[in-house]
Parts: sequence; C-alpha cells; structure tokens
Amino acid sequence: MRWYASPTARLIAGLAVTLASVAGFSWYALDQIAGLRALQTTAIDRNRRDSLQLLRIENNLNSIGLAMRDMVNGDEPYPLEAFRSQFARVRRDLDDALRLERSLAPESLSPSREHYFRQSLSQFWTSVDQMFALANTPHGDKQATELVRSSLEPQQEAMSATVARLLVENNLTEERAAARVQEIYRRVERDVYLFLAAALAAILATSLYLIYSNRRLFQRLEALSAQRSALARKLITMQEEMLRSISRELHDEFGQILTALGAMLARAEKKELPSGFREDLREIRSIAQEALDKTRGLSLALHPSILDEGGLEQAIDWYVPIFQKQTGIRVDYRKSGRGADIPDAVAIHVYRVLQEALNNVARHSGAATAQVRVEFAPSKLCLEVEDHGSGLPARPAAGARRGIGMVAMRERADLLHGVLAFDRPAEGGTRVRLDVPIIEEL
Amino acid sequence: MTRRDLLIAAPLAVAGASIEPSAGFHFTGVTAQAGIHFTHNSGAFGGKYLPETLGPGCAFFDYDADGWQDILLVNGTNWPGHHGPRSTLRLYRNNRDGTFTDVTRRAGLDIEMYGMGVAAGDFDNDGFPDLFITCVGQSRLFHNTGKGTFVDVTHSSGLAGHEGFSTSALWFDYNRDGLLDLFVCNYVKWSAAGDVYCTLDGKRKSYCTPEAYHGSTCWLFRNLGNGRFEDVTASSGIFDSSSKSLGVAMLDYDNDGWPDLFVANDTQPNKLYRNLRNGRFEDVAIEAGVAFSEDGKARAGMGVDAADFDNSGVTSLVVTNFENEMLGLYRLGRGGSFQDQAPGSNVGRLTRRSLGFGCFFFDADLDGLLDLLVVNGHIDSTVQGLETDARYQQPPHLLWNRGAAGFRDIASEVGAGFATPKVGRGAAFGDFDGDGDLDVLIATNQGPAYLYRNDLSNGNRSVRFRLRGTKSNRDGIGAVVRIQLNGQTRSRMVKSGSSYLSQSELPVTFGLGRSDRAERVTVAWPSGRFEEFKNVAAGSYDVVEGQGITKK
Repeated sequence: MRWYASPTARLIAGLAVTLASVAGFSWYALDQIAGLRALQTTAIDRNRRDSLQLLRIENNLNSIGLAMRDMVNGDEPYPLEAFRSQFARVRRDLDDALRLERSLAPESLSPSREHYFRQSLSQFWTSVDQMFALANTPHGDKQATELVRSSLEPQQEAMSATVARLLVENNLTEERAAARVQEIYRRVERDVYLFLAAALAAILATSLYLIYSNRRLFQRLEALSAQRSALARKLITMQEEMLRSISRELHDEFGQILTALGAMLARAEKKELPSGFREDLREIRSIAQEALDKTRGLSLALHPSILDEGGLEQAIDWYVPIFQKQTGIRVDYRKSGRGADIPDAVAIHVYRVLQEALNNVARHSGAATAQVRVEFAPSKLCLEVEDHGSGLPARPAAGARRGIGMVAMRERADLLHGVLAFDRPAEGGTRVRLDVPIIEEL
Repeated sequence: MTRRDLLIAAPLAVAGASIEPSAGFHFTGVTAQAGIHFTHNSGAFGGKYLPETLGPGCAFFDYDADGWQDILLVNGTNWPGHHGPRSTLRLYRNNRDGTFTDVTRRAGLDIEMYGMGVAAGDFDNDGFPDLFITCVGQSRLFHNTGKGTFVDVTHSSGLAGHEGFSTSALWFDYNRDGLLDLFVCNYVKWSAAGDVYCTLDGKRKSYCTPEAYHGSTCWLFRNLGNGRFEDVTASSGIFDSSSKSLGVAMLDYDNDGWPDLFVANDTQPNKLYRNLRNGRFEDVAIEAGVAFSEDGKARAGMGVDAADFDNSGVTSLVVTNFENEMLGLYRLGRGGSFQDQAPGSNVGRLTRRSLGFGCFFFDADLDGLLDLLVVNGHIDSTVQGLETDARYQQPPHLLWNRGAAGFRDIASEVGAGFATPKVGRGAAFGDFDGDGDLDVLIATNQGPAYLYRNDLSNGNRSVRFRLRGTKSNRDGIGAVVRIQLNGQTRSRMVKSGSSYLSQSELPVTFGLGRSDRAERVTVAWPSGRFEEFKNVAAGSYDVVEGQGITKK
C-alpha cells in the first residue's frame, strides 16, 4: 500500500505563521498607536493646553493694558485707587494661569525666556504696588498716572510681546509634532499594506494546500471504499461458495453414506438374528436415519439446493412455510410477477436478505405475524418484509452488537447495486425493503 | 399608593410604559385677552446699533400694593434723527379678573427713553415699590408716590451723571441697614457716534460682538436713606472696567447672612462678589469655579438666577450663554467651589444649540422641585442666511425638574404656542391671577410680550408668603424663607434682579404637592431677626417682621 503523509503538521504550521504574523502586526500597530498617543498627549495636547494658558495670560495682560489706558486717559470718574481691586483680580487670575502654564510648558521652549517673563512680571507687580501707594498719597494721582505711562505700560507691552513669542514657539512646536504625527501615519499606512499583502499570501498558500490535501484525502477515501466493497463482495461470495460446498458435501457424501448405512442395516434386520441383536440393529438404523435427516437439514440450512434447482421464487415459496413452522409466526406471503429469470448471483443474496429480515422479525419484533411481498419485474426485483411489532430501537441497547446481520444485508444490497431501506410503517413495527436491478451479466 | 392613585395609574400603565408622564399643568397664552398690547421698539433702522439686539426686560410687581401683581414692560425708542411711532415703557394695572389696564400715562411713565431693564424695590420703605429703569444713556429712578403715579427722581437721588449702556439691575441691602441699595450692570462703552462697523458677510453691516468694545464697570449705589444714593462702586471693590455685564443675581452662597452677587459677563469672566460684611466685596469667581466654563473659556453670559433647585440646602446658579456654549448650571460643592452640572447632564445637550437670555427657577407644577425656564433668541436676524441650523427665533426651554431623574424639556407639551420660536429676551414669573400657581411673562426683541397663565391640573397646592420688613427693608429683599415638609427643607430668597433685564414677583411660592400644609416655616430677615411658624396651611400669607403671619 502506498503511504500518504498527514497534512495536519503543515496546516498547523501555516496557521501558526498566520497567527504569528497577526500577533506581530497587532503588537506593531499597538506600539505605533501608543507612540502616537504619547506624542499627542505629551506634545500636542500639552502644547495646546499651554497655549490656552498663554492666551489667558495674554488676555489678562491686555486687560491690564486697557485698564491702564483708562487710568492714563482719565476715562473713569473714579480715583486710581478704584482700579486696585481690578488689578488684584487680574493678578489672581494671572498667578493661576502661570501656575498651570508652568506645569504644561513644553520642554522645547526656551527656559531663559520663561525666567525672563516671570522676573518681568514680578517687577511689574512691584511697580503696580508703588503706583497705588503713590495714588493713595495726597495729590498722588498725577504722579501715579505718570508712573503708569512711563513705566507700567512699557513693561506690560514687553510682557505681552514675550507671551506672543512664547505662543509662536508653541505653534512651531505644534507644527513639528503634527509633522511627526503625519510621518507616523504614513509609515503605519505603508506597513498596513505590506502586512495585508503578506497575510493574504500566507492565507492563500494555506488555503491552496488545504484544497490539495482535501482532494488527496477524498481520492484516498474513494479508493478505500472501493477496496472495502470488493473485499466485502469477495468475502460474501467466498462464504456463499463455501456454504454451498459444505452443503453439497453434507448432502452428497454424508447423505449417501448414511443412506447406504440405513439400507445395509435394513437388510441386516431381515436376516435371522438373535432377538436382542435385532432390537439393537433397529435402534442403530433409527439413529442413522436421524443423522441422515439432520445432515440433510443442515445442508439445506447452509445452502438450500432448491435455490440452485428451482430458482429464487421456489426457494422463497419453500422457505416461508418452513419459517412459519419453525417460529410459529404467521407469514402473509404475496408475490407478483415471475421470478424465473433471476440470475443465481442475485438470488442467493436476495434469499439471504429475506432470511435475515425474517430472523430479525422472530428475534426482535415480538410480532405474531409478518408480511412478505416479492415483486418480480423484468428489470428489477423488489422484496419487502414487514412486521407490526416493536420496531427498530432508536438506539441499540448498551453492549448489544450493532446489527452484524443488518450490515451484511447492506453489503449484499451494495453487491447487487441495489437499495436497502428500513422504515417504520404507519401501523408501527419495521419494514425492510430491498430493490435490486436485474442485469443479465450480473 | 392609595386606591385612587392606583385607579389613575392603571390606564396609564396599560397605555404604554414608554409614555412620559404628563407635567400636570398648561401655560395658556392670554396676552391679548388680558389686555396686553405691546410691541418692543428697538429703534432699529438699519444702522445695526449694538443696543438694538439686547432689549427688553419685563417685570411682575405690585405697584399699587393691592396684593395683585401688575406688569411692566420696558421699551426702547427711536434713535436720534430717526423718526417712527412713539414708544414708551408700559405699565399694566391688574384688574383682579385676569385682565389688565394700561395705566402708563396715568402713572406718569409715558416718557421716551431707550430702556433696557427694570428693577422694582421700595427704596424709601413707604410701602410702594419704586422703579429703576436701566437705559442706554441715563438710567432713570422713579419714585412711587403711592397714589398711582411715579415721579422721576434720577437727579434728586444723585443717580444722574451716570450714563452708560446699562442692562440688568437689582435692589438689595448689601450693608443690612434696612435700606435697599442699587446694583446696576453695564455692558460696554458704546455710543452711536463711536459705533464700530462689523460685518458677517463682508457686504452689509451687522451687529458687533462685545469684543469690539471696551468693557464698562458695574455700579453700586448705597442708599443714604434721605432719598439720595452714593456711588460706592470704587470703595466697595465692585469697580472693574473690563466687565461686560448683562445679568445679575443675589444669593448668599456662603450662608453668612450677607447678600453676595453673581454677575454674568459677556465674553469676560463672570463675577462672584462675596460680601465682606464691611461694605466691600471681593470677586471670588475664579476660586469658586464660576468665572469660566468647564474648559476655561469665558462664555457669553446673559441671564442668571440662583436657587436651591434640588432642595439640597446649597445654592445653585444658572447662567444662559451663547449658542454652542450651553447654559451653565453651577452647583455648589464641598469646599465652597461650584461645579457645572450641564456638560455632564442632559441640560447641556438640551440647551447647547440655543442662545439663551432670560432664565429663572420656579416651581411650575408646585411639586416642591424648582423647574427652570430659559427663553432664547438670536441677536441678529441675518444669522439664518449664514448658518444652516441657527435660527433667529428660538423656542424656550421649560426644563421640568424630575428630581433624581434630572430635567426634561417640556416646553412643547405645556400648551399650544408656548414653544413657538421667539426672539426671547426678558422673562419673569408671578401669580397674576391669584390662584396660587406661577404665571409667566416673556418679552421679545422688536416683538410682542407674551403672558402665559398657568392652568394647573395636577391638584398640587402651594403656600405663598409676601414679606413686609419693619427693621429690615420693607420689601424683605434678602430674607430667606424655609419650609419643612415631610422631613425635607425647601428655601426661597426674596429677591430683586435675576433672569435678564427683568424682575419676578417678590412674594415667594412653595409647591406643597398633594400636602395641604407646611409643618414648619422659618423666616431669616436681613436684619438678623429669625421667626418661626408651625403648621401653616396652603394659601397666601402676609408675614410682617416681628408681627406674625396673616392669611390673606
């Protein structure tokens, strides 16, 4: 027998390669996403939040600028001291914004510029305090206004310019980060296409190999099935030949011997013999006759000679009454058509199926009656055995041998290219139906 | 559940579990049948002057002290050099039968001015509420003579010479001397001569946003008790020339018995002025978390109100803002700072697309939980041609407070016409028909006023208190009334101001639900006096400081 290698190992290898590549790519993608997220969180988002705080600082500086303009222009009907609470509020908001900004400022920004800004702001508030102190002195409003014009306004403008530059730097940092994000997207996009191509190739190769393996597997199954059928046919044929041979031997050889033995004993009986010996001889002859009857019965059981001599129809006609007699089950036997042209090779298997089916009725159905219908047609033969007993069990009882007889029936039907069917009639029980095509050369 | 409740509930349950419960009240439009015939004149002639977009306000107040709420509707006028029909504010006297009579001329208020808002309070404690009308230009103080007429005392009171773009105002006794002081919001420094050219489409002039103008400080005037007021804006710490204020509400957020102020600013940080009890205020809005939105942005604050809407014992604030900004619903948390509840609740989602102005908490269905009315409307009619989903006229939101289930907007369910889109501005509430529930007055820009009568069908009852101070200011403004019902405490402050350019009635109303009485009523007067009344049945009462309670 030719050796066929199992495809499992190669398929597992293909699956492993596919899974490994998916896992590898997933890791790669997650790594890229994590990098992207880190970049967005640490750089872009932080940068934006920092810019928001810088805008808040700038807004506050502008607010101070506007207030100082009101002070210088004398737009409000209130003394300069009135602005103190406004400055205090802006200062609180500025301090809060600066505190937040310090925690968010990108590392790329110039520390010296930050330092310069904080120093400038500190100097500014010192000047503001001086200005309000001046404003609180008698006739100090004029000097305070002059201080605003000469010192505070230039300081405020310088600080606004610094914040504006920080915002520009932030924008540049954001643009650089955005460019890096775009680069990551481009790289990931390219790698996604590469991975998809590789994954498709791996899936294609595995699938092709799977198709090839499947085809080989089915071819092998077909060959095995054909071998098994041939073997079964050979076995059954051999079995039938052997049974026929044994039957003939029993009938012809042992039958003749026992018949001769009986005849000889009958002749001896007719001679003058002591009375006791005659009785013995009669008993021996009776035993010999019994042996002859049993031998003939066994011979018929192994292979009914009537099948060879009278054909299938006569064999069935002969067997059905014997079955009734042996089992006490009344059989309603009907036939139609003529069975004269049934080839011997078909007849023995049909006969064996009938035998097995009726034996099943006797053994398992518990039915008191059975029906046998045989339909002979020129091109086909149909045999039906039906009982209305307990029917086939849905599942065989635990430990029971799963229908060797039924398996044999199926094999015989296959040998005849026929169809064997088991079903449940409406009245219950079991119906076995065998349909066999009649082909001349078979 | 009683057998009757069960009988009522059963058909509802069969009708379908998904059907929302009915609010149990209707707002019936009664403007014309009540005799209110008013159209606001913004003076718009095509010049797109900024003040045209913002008015007007309205008020429920009892000018003749007869116990029935009268109505005042503020009006603008034609700009100098532009002629049109004469327009003045309108005073409508309550006829006590569901109708009103226009008494503007008889009351001496038939005066042209570019009015914006109104604050009503009895500044001289004579028993009759006086009127402060905020204007573009010189605002006016009208003294109520008690004989059905008003006299302009702007000059004699010392309020003259304060010209600005004044918006909301309120009366309150910040120094607790028994005299009502006056707080006035100013928007921006604007004049017709200095009007800035802005355009949305690059072709036609449109209304500018406030960024185009310099801010303007609010004013605080101390009542000297002799009919005169002193400008204490600077000395009280209120002065801030960057403010662009539109709404103001009084509250006592730190529960120290001294009235604080919340001021809504447009594109500038809101202000929370904490009363330092020494005549000075300190702005603590940033520390308290109400200066900006949750994302740190100064929004376009318009209207404002303060109340304990969830009966938790702490004050919450509502601030209406521009479209896409959603309203702010700030609830005071532990540590004295507020958290905006709107972004995390459906309040934010419901109001995000609206441009809100007037707003107030009131118990519309008298179930004991304060509901919220917000009136909306865009500032420029040309917006509809520029933005696909923005509308000039917008429906109001009536956010029905369902306790733990949150708010639900039922504006479209409480009566035909209530949810009709309007260019809403001022809004006020008051029980004009004396049936114990709260009716609503809405003023619209360049349009009519709307009076809605509350027709309650849920069988809920109320208890109402009109306070009269003796040592405290006569209106009892600043007094806190609390009732206990079923182990729960509910509180209301007698207050002027709130909403937008408007004033609601001074009597406080508590919904009792199906209960027929409050177990305990306490009044904390601004003078420091504390009074307690037990087992107060549903109905309307007069409470006179130190003299007990009388059922009307």
